[in-house]
Amino acid sequence: MQRVLSALLMAIGMAAMVLAQTQAPAQGPDRWLHVRVQSSGPEGETVRVNVPLSLAEKILPAIHCKELKGGKVSIKDASKDVDLRALLEAVRNVGDNEFVTVESPHERVRVAKSGGYLFVKVREGQAANATENVDIKIPFSVVEAALSGGQDELDLVAAIRALSEHGDTELVTVMDKSETVRVWVDSKNVSE
Amino acid sequence: MPATGGATSVLGSVSVLVLGTVVLGGALVYDAGAIRVRVQEKNPSGEHINLLVPAVAVPVALKFVPDEKLQEASAEIRPWLPAIKTAAEELAHCPDGPFVEVTSPHEKVRIAKRGGSLIIDVDDADATVHVSFPVRVVSSVVQELEMAGPPV
Repeated sequence: MQRVLSALLMAIGMAAMVLAQTQAPAQGPDRWLHVRVQSSGPEGETVRVNVPLSLAEKILPAIHCKELKGGKVSIKDASKDVDLRALLEAVRNVGDNEFVTVESPHERVRVAKSGGYLFVKVREGQAANATENVDIKIPFSVVEAALSGGQDELDLVAAIRALSEHGDTELVTVMDKSETVRVWVDSKNVSE
Repeated sequence: MPATGGATSVLGSVSVLVLGTVVLGGALVYDAGAIRVRVQEKNPSGEHINLLVPAVAVPVALKFVPDEKLQEASAEIRPWLPAIKTAAEELAHCPDGPFVEVTSPHEKVRIAKRGGSLIIDVDDADATVHVSFPVRVVSSVVQELEMAGPPV
């Protein structure tokens, strides 16, 4: 009887080992890209998307559709009139500065480089009563990584890899009368 | 009574073998998880569907799908197979959390990963739907679909 019990205990032990081996939790912190879109009004909806950067980095190269191939997106049309690489080189070689400032009664645009980040700020509408605010803050290393691929393409995988090396970052905020969009990176698996 | 002692010993060994197999098999089935589908239609005559299938049964069940149907599905999904395969492999390693949440006055959608399973919840005016399946089951389905068609 003792032999039977000890053999049974061994079987249970082996089963426990099988479970322990296959259910070991994932280790190490992960960076998450969050997107939140909130539309206002009675029919307003909220969309929250949370993606681990490591997951995006692995999946993107496997997607081949239209302009997105192997983790690179073609920007042939967008780069037709502007040499993005030359522009980047020019911006990289100068210190923190304000590069573009547009002031009109209906719109104010500011493009600047400061503290390793590229800032784009757009305010539409009257100064006292802006109808749309766009704030983009991208780490310069991410911009460089995105443009590290071929002539007419953005290397999204390289950009994500560069992004994952940064701390918590607010990337994009768009606010208008009907919608708020927020894109940011942090180490939490849920959006606020 | 040596004959009786021998029979007891054989019976004991067989019991251990059977119990051990059951325990190990149970552990493996439990570890593989289950596919759960729950649909609850909201109209008065609406149907309630509750399905619970062990994930280990999926590759076996796929063997019973007619070849032409499997080839048809394989051809349709073929361009996306590498992405789905990578996603399934990576999802297994990535931390738990909600991936997509849509909330509006008319519907709620939630796609999340919890404990090795992907969980999809939809609650709209017509029905409440809950689908959960172990992420690993996707890999075996992809494998079957890959084998059903020409090489990728």
